[in-house]
Amino acid sequence: MNIHEYQAKKILSRYGVKIPKGMIAYTPNEAREAADKVSEKGPWVLKAQIQSGARKNGYFLEKDAGAEGGIRIVTSRRKIRANADEMLGSTLVTVQTGPSGKKVNRIYVESFCAVEKAFYMAIAVSRVAAELTLLVAKDYDGDVLQVALTKPEKILKVTLGLEEKITSEQIAQIMKFLKLSQRSHKSLERLVNSLHKAFWENDASMIEINPVGVMKNGELIALDAKISFDDNALFRHPDINLLQDDCEISEREQQAAHYKFTYSEFDGSVGCIVNGDGVALTAMDLLRDKNTGTACFINVKGGVDKDKIASGIKIIMTNPRVEGILLNILGGFLRCDLIADGIISAASEVGLNVPMVVRFEGTNQARAKEILENSRLPIIWADTMEESIDKLVKALEEAA
Amino acid sequence: MSVFVNKNTKVICQGITGTQASFHIQRSLDCGTQVVGGVTPGKGGSLHLNLPVFDTVKEAVAETQATASIMYVPAKAVKSALREAVEAELDLVVSIADGVPLKDMLEIKSMLKGSKTKFIGPNTPGIITPGEARLGIFPENIHNPGDIGIVSRSSTLTYEAVLETKRAGKGQSTVIGLGDDILIGMDFIDAIKAFNSDSATKAIVMIGQLGGAFEEVAASWYKKLKHKKPVIVFIAGNAIPFGHKMGYAGDIITKGYISVQDKKDALSDAGMIVVNHINDIHLELAKLQ
Repeated sequence: MNIHEYQAKKILSRYGVKIPKGMIAYTPNEAREAADKVSEKGPWVLKAQIQSGARKNGYFLEKDAGAEGGIRIVTSRRKIRANADEMLGSTLVTVQTGPSGKKVNRIYVESFCAVEKAFYMAIAVSRVAAELTLLVAKDYDGDVLQVALTKPEKILKVTLGLEEKITSEQIAQIMKFLKLSQRSHKSLERLVNSLHKAFWENDASMIEINPVGVMKNGELIALDAKISFDDNALFRHPDINLLQDDCEISEREQQAAHYKFTYSEFDGSVGCIVNGDGVALTAMDLLRDKNTGTACFINVKGGVDKDKIASGIKIIMTNPRVEGILLNILGGFLRCDLIADGIISAASEVGLNVPMVVRFEGTNQARAKEILENSRLPIIWADTMEESIDKLVKALEEAA
Repeated sequence: MSVFVNKNTKVICQGITGTQASFHIQRSLDCGTQVVGGVTPGKGGSLHLNLPVFDTVKEAVAETQATASIMYVPAKAVKSALREAVEAELDLVVSIADGVPLKDMLEIKSMLKGSKTKFIGPNTPGIITPGEARLGIFPENIHNPGDIGIVSRSSTLTYEAVLETKRAGKGQSTVIGLGDDILIGMDFIDAIKAFNSDSATKAIVMIGQLGGAFEEVAASWYKKLKHKKPVIVFIAGNAIPFGHKMGYAGDIITKGYISVQDKKDALSDAGMIVVNHINDIHLELAKLQ
């Protein structure tokens, strides 16, 4: 689960991370009032609160939202309200949001902070080593992924203990890498330890500060902040759970999450119902080989509740992009007959108006086939994964 | 022969009195697994499925001499259940739980370092040596004994790989599901190392997927191996667009972006047989001597 920048900053500042003075605003008037409170003379930074990076270089879909992006430096108090008015309620498109963008419902009004230089800092989990890694990137223009892809030598990786504080040797290593002056030493140590503690105590899966600014007096300040939390640990953090912004994820994603299924959307036309991400990935690969794209997939995992499974299947059946459905279930924990019942109950509610290929393998497979055959739904049967793809692609061609 | 579990492996079940546990333990017993007892705190001294139930893993091990445990405990209880198993010095523990917190896994991985316990999972169908031992949730009816070892990061594709060995007229020595969470216990190297020195295993089928560097690490290890059995490998996830939310966001910056093609290249450079379609596995198996 992700949260907004201002929420992340609030959490991090509780752990001792220095942040610019800022306030959240939902209306142009609130923005104006916030500006007065965070800085006397400005300049101010107005920051669109959508969960996406690269907001500065983004653009608004609406013409009357102006030509500037989602992060605006405003020097005159008189222009705060107008800029806030342009941004609020408009749709911001960034390289991360996709072409449909995200609606801006709130903006964060910050006091502008002049910095001498900036760098990237993050804490993430290294999967093979099963360790926490502190990442520091320098000489980059904001897009850390591009640095990771093209100039890996600009990224320093430091292994952190699970709970122990960073060592003085490690701090020295980072100081040298970033060419920071001695004045920043204390501030750097405090920043790393604060991020580390915030990560560990809140069950984060990743924390990113992009960028950290170095102020004239050497102090380090978080100019942006992003925290991703581990969904599997939210039960331990009811307060964080409340920060979930439902506007950030589609209704279908919300429904799937409600049933604890994984659901992903892409830009093709086939809806996949599977019980494993690996099966979904494989089906998508095979479809792509046949020049057919995937619209979405739902992974019902080891579901044991018939009604939940039916609801999951309905999410696929009612996605307007879906022109054909591929159901590939290899039952172990999951019983194929529950899926068959789920298909029937979903189809009876929302109708089955597109071709559907079904392949069952494993627990109660014969019973499942019998249930569906008795239902007289127009199911196309397949015995292997490849056959299921071939038959669906053929059915799509015939329907076109 | 087989790896990690066979008909002589004495198994206890942690969380034996739960509904799913009861269902799956009965199935495991029916297909030959030597389940010798169970653990449910507070229910020690009772019988369940005709098996003795103990309050702690230590008691269960002392009474039954079990060396392995299959845990059917909820995700949030995996860490403490595993700690018990490690302290009782079990050789092997399997957890099928879906949704173990990342932080718990970090602590589990650190707990396992320097212990003798091997941990399979979480979020895995488990491990099965057909006809001898089933620890997990495998549909045992699709398995048959044979000489192909299977190791897979994707739960459901494990079954697909099993069906491929059948299509090639072969069976499986042991099948291991590693689980596809961000952090996993046993990895490809542990599994392939065991298969490579197992006299009953002639060849290995490996199923990987996008995300993490588990496959690349296995590739560079395998490359240096002197006597290697053939490994046929399939990697899923080629069609996932760069930067899609699937998988773990930290992957790219912690190790640089590795595409499915990069993985395939590394594996094939190491001498493994890389197939592009999962249903091509049986064709490669049929070519083996």
